[in-house]
Amino acid sequence: MHRNCVECRDIIKTYHQGKICVHALNGVSLSIEQGEFVALAGPSGSGKTSLLNIIGGLDKADSGSVIVTGKSFENLSDSKLAKLRLNNIGFVFQSYNLIPVLSALENVEYVMLLQGVPAEERYERSIQILNDTGLEDKYNSRPAELSGGQQQRVAVARAIVSNPMLVLADEPTANLDSETGMGLLEIMKKMNRLKKVTFLFSTHDNMVMDFADRLVLMKDGEIVGDKNKV
Amino acid sequence: MKDKLPIDLKMAWRNIWRNFRRTLITISAIGFACVLLVFMLSFQLGGYETMINSSVKIHSGHLEVQAKGYNDKQNIRLAIPDPEIIGKICSKLKDIVSFTFRARAFSMVSSGKKTYGAMVIGIDPLRESLVSTLEKSIRSGSYLKENDKNQAIVGSLLAKNLKISIGDDLTVLGQGKDGSIAAAVLHVKGIYNSGMDEFDRSTIHIPLNTFQNIYSMGNSVHEVVMIADSLKHINVIKRELIRNFRNHNIKGLAVLSWDQLLPGLRQGIEMDLISGIIFYILLIVIVAFSILNTFFMAVFERTREFGVLMAIGTTPGRLVRLVLTESFLMTVVGIGCGMVMGIIITLFFQFHGIDLGGSSAMLRHYGISGKLYPRLSFISLLSGPCVLFFITLLTSFYPAMKIRRLTPVKAMTYV
Amino acid sequence: MQIQIAWRNIWRNPRRTMIMLTAMIIGIWSMIFLGGMMRGMMVGMINNGISTLTGDIQIHAKGYRDDPSIEYFMPDLKGIEKTINKILPRGSRYTSRIRVNAIAANARHSTGVTMVGIHPVKEPGVSFIGPGAVVHGRYLVPGNNNGILIGRAMAEKFGTKTGHKIILMSENIQHDIASKAFIIMGIFKAEMQSTEKHFVFVTSSSARHMLKLAKGASEISIILPHHKGDKKITWNLRQAIPDSYEIHTWQELLPILTSYLKMFDGFMYIWFLVIFIAMGFGIVNTTLMAVYERMKEFGLLKALGMRPWLIIRSVLLESFMLLVIGTAIGNCMGFLTIHFLSITGINLTSLSAGAEFAGLSRIIYPVLYPKDIIMANVVVIGLGLVVSLYPAVKAARFTPVEALSHE
Ligand SMILES: Nc1ncnc2c1ncn2[C@@H]1O[C@H](COP(=O)(O)OP(=O)(O)OP(=O)(O)O)[C@@H](O)[C@H]1O
Ligand SMILES: [Mg+2]
Repeated sequence: MHRNCVECRDIIKTYHQGKICVHALNGVSLSIEQGEFVALAGPSGSGKTSLLNIIGGLDKADSGSVIVTGKSFENLSDSKLAKLRLNNIGFVFQSYNLIPVLSALENVEYVMLLQGVPAEERYERSIQILNDTGLEDKYNSRPAELSGGQQQRVAVARAIVSNPMLVLADEPTANLDSETGMGLLEIMKKMNRLKKVTFLFSTHDNMVMDFADRLVLMKDGEIVGDKNKV
Repeated sequence: MKDKLPIDLKMAWRNIWRNFRRTLITISAIGFACVLLVFMLSFQLGGYETMINSSVKIHSGHLEVQAKGYNDKQNIRLAIPDPEIIGKICSKLKDIVSFTFRARAFSMVSSGKKTYGAMVIGIDPLRESLVSTLEKSIRSGSYLKENDKNQAIVGSLLAKNLKISIGDDLTVLGQGKDGSIAAAVLHVKGIYNSGMDEFDRSTIHIPLNTFQNIYSMGNSVHEVVMIADSLKHINVIKRELIRNFRNHNIKGLAVLSWDQLLPGLRQGIEMDLISGIIFYILLIVIVAFSILNTFFMAVFERTREFGVLMAIGTTPGRLVRLVLTESFLMTVVGIGCGMVMGIIITLFFQFHGIDLGGSSAMLRHYGISGKLYPRLSFISLLSGPCVLFFITLLTSFYPAMKIRRLTPVKAMTYV
Repeated sequence: MQIQIAWRNIWRNPRRTMIMLTAMIIGIWSMIFLGGMMRGMMVGMINNGISTLTGDIQIHAKGYRDDPSIEYFMPDLKGIEKTINKILPRGSRYTSRIRVNAIAANARHSTGVTMVGIHPVKEPGVSFIGPGAVVHGRYLVPGNNNGILIGRAMAEKFGTKTGHKIILMSENIQHDIASKAFIIMGIFKAEMQSTEKHFVFVTSSSARHMLKLAKGASEISIILPHHKGDKKITWNLRQAIPDSYEIHTWQELLPILTSYLKMFDGFMYIWFLVIFIAMGFGIVNTTLMAVYERMKEFGLLKALGMRPWLIIRSVLLESFMLLVIGTAIGNCMGFLTIHFLSITGINLTSLSAGAEFAGLSRIIYPVLYPKDIIMANVVVIGLGLVVSLYPAVKAARFTPVEALSHE
């Protein structure tokens, strides 16, 4: 049976700031199949972050249904959601991704530690993924000792090391120069091909949009375009 | 390898050293309070022990057996009729280091030139020297001997008031146990100075036999005075004595411990301790507020980081644990350093003593001569730091609980 | 303007400021509260000492202090009183007493006491004894020849009451034992049990009669208005009164109390310092946090050309404001606490034997000394500024580059 990785229906999200209501999402519906590599684009304030947060289970929609990797988010407690995120979804953020007091290796290991993966397996898998992301010589460096690009690569490594179905990335390349950004995207794509992980990332960058297999365009809290390039 | 250390502990330890300066100041605050608590408590408790032991060696002994009611009324008729059997019981109890018999009567003491009222105390010279410091406090002449008769040793201030010196004669005039007039002439053999003015102004000591003759006491005495091997064993001895009295069918006697015999001393100590405790609690509360800000900062400046940690699946409970572990580590390091420093300082003064200089007149009043010595004990070492530990941990709970209300989105957008 | 900016900066992080203020308030409050308590104890001790037959100043015949017996009496009472009258300031009171050691006895008991022959009218203004101190029976009246007042504790010990007989024995002026029977007129209470046990009062005429003293007295006790100026007046008296007399202030008469009082200031200021250090760690840390948070701001200001010492000044101004608010509230709370406690007093009766052992009265009324309040505030504000200097200098040292690369 064929199942979608992400299945959103009529998502509405309104923020209240005092008396002003901001309609961040106005009935967004989106389906993404397993193994897709999707970019989410749109002007500032169009609701990209809001949508990613809701799909990632970081935030709750006011109405509408979210089913990610076959599981509905409705009526889940905070700790159930945390567990769901831990096992099924990886995250890459624009900045402050890594735990500053842990080395690159430990950052990657940390997620598996939360999952309860045995130490040896943890170690091997972390080394493997760091090698795959081109960080062979940076195992023991702390985030502060890594460049911005290297930090984001560690973040990607951490996001996929736990073998999630879905990786969400909110403007992962925004703080990087275009060359480094492309490097990061290539690694993401490699992982997408290698492990059949679904990637959904937001961006402002045209080059990044071009790189994606599918491009979803947003404006004023609605999806205004959906191009599948493959 | 180093992976043995749980990751949470490792993270906590590294986290507290992220802001080296702040952590150092926080640890110093805890350490400072800790040093102070250990030293001051050792000083107070050590002082009490000195006070008790020196008062006890001048006045009362650790324990006394008396006739019921004698302690309140000091009536010469309330005597212990058969002291020998009590002596036998005492020598059997291993916690009693030494004991002696005393009899006392208030009398007029006259030197021919002068007359004063004084407490005449009959003592067994040999046994007395094992119980009290009387023998050591002789300043001129000599102490009483086993078969001395009609000899007396006199307190220095009383001797001065009576204008007598060694070899002079003294007349005592009082009331015997049977109500008759008790009168005798005594030779001054020695003069003592205990340092406690009241005692030196109002007592003379004579051999117990002589006392019993003068005051028609027969074999009876007023007090059996005991020294215990340690303050801790006093209650045990008391119970044993009472049990033995019941077994031997001895009636009409009371066993009193130093705190009943010298209620002023006990309550003085209590008062000092209570005021000390008020001081310490205030100190701890102020330290707690001083470091509360550090604990808060540790949470708030890392809110974004907590957001990421929550996003990738760390539960809020685990984050609370992490933050509490950090506070715990800081507290433990602070208390650890403080205790070590406290021990060093306390031990230093325990050997060298503290000279309170100009206050010696006051200390003499409490029976302390010269320097004061703190005494490190389990109680003085642990009680202060324990309270400090709990109060600091309690303090850290408040900021840590703020994490529970955090959601990933709120945390990550926190500025 | 400066102050406005500082004020806003303080309240940028209200929680942090409140926590720091709380620490300061508790600190200052405890300084003032405990200071007031300790001073209250001290004043209680002094008043006790002075009213227990000491007075501010005493005059004796030379030798009496070493050997308080009747032979060292002052024969020329009239002459001395005349001199005193000239020297003492208006509002002073004095009385003469005959004071000797004696033995008090009834059928069953005997004990050593101090027999005090007093002038029944003049005495009440000088010491605690007077009609107000008598709890049973009546106070003495002049010319009463065989009445005696004994203390409550002594009455209990002797198992006696008013109307019963007590015999006093003492040496008379001819070195013979004099004894005289007195009738208990009244039973007095005193602050200290030892006073109730050790003093008995008779009229000076009956004391003279018993001791065969034609005239004169053992001591003159003087109370000065508001207990002020004892040192200077003592000096004046020494100039005016012949060398065959000794004049002492209460400090000399009560050496234990005096040595205790000497330690008092020291203890208190050490305590202030300890409290401050506990607070000081918090002050340094909080100010450091505030400064580091605003590193970018300071870097910017410096880049714009602000001189370092101006930055130091603005950080110190913020600390100063915090300190002033904290001490102001702490002082107010301290004053209020002391005010309420000084109405009711703090009752130490449950520990009275201990309080007495320490020379304290049974009820303590806290007292504020201006010098302690000033000291507490100077310590907190002064040292508070000193320790704030460290973060302030740090702030001034941030280079623009450092500041911008922070975080
Ligand atoms: N916590 C919030 N409170 C109030 N309004 C919010 C909040 N978060 C987002 N918004 C509003 O919701 C709308 C959508 O915001 P969102 O962050 O999703 O946009 P975005 O597409 O990610 O923009 P950008 O490209 O700038 O990151 C915006 O108008 C924003 O102001
Ligand atoms: Mg966004």
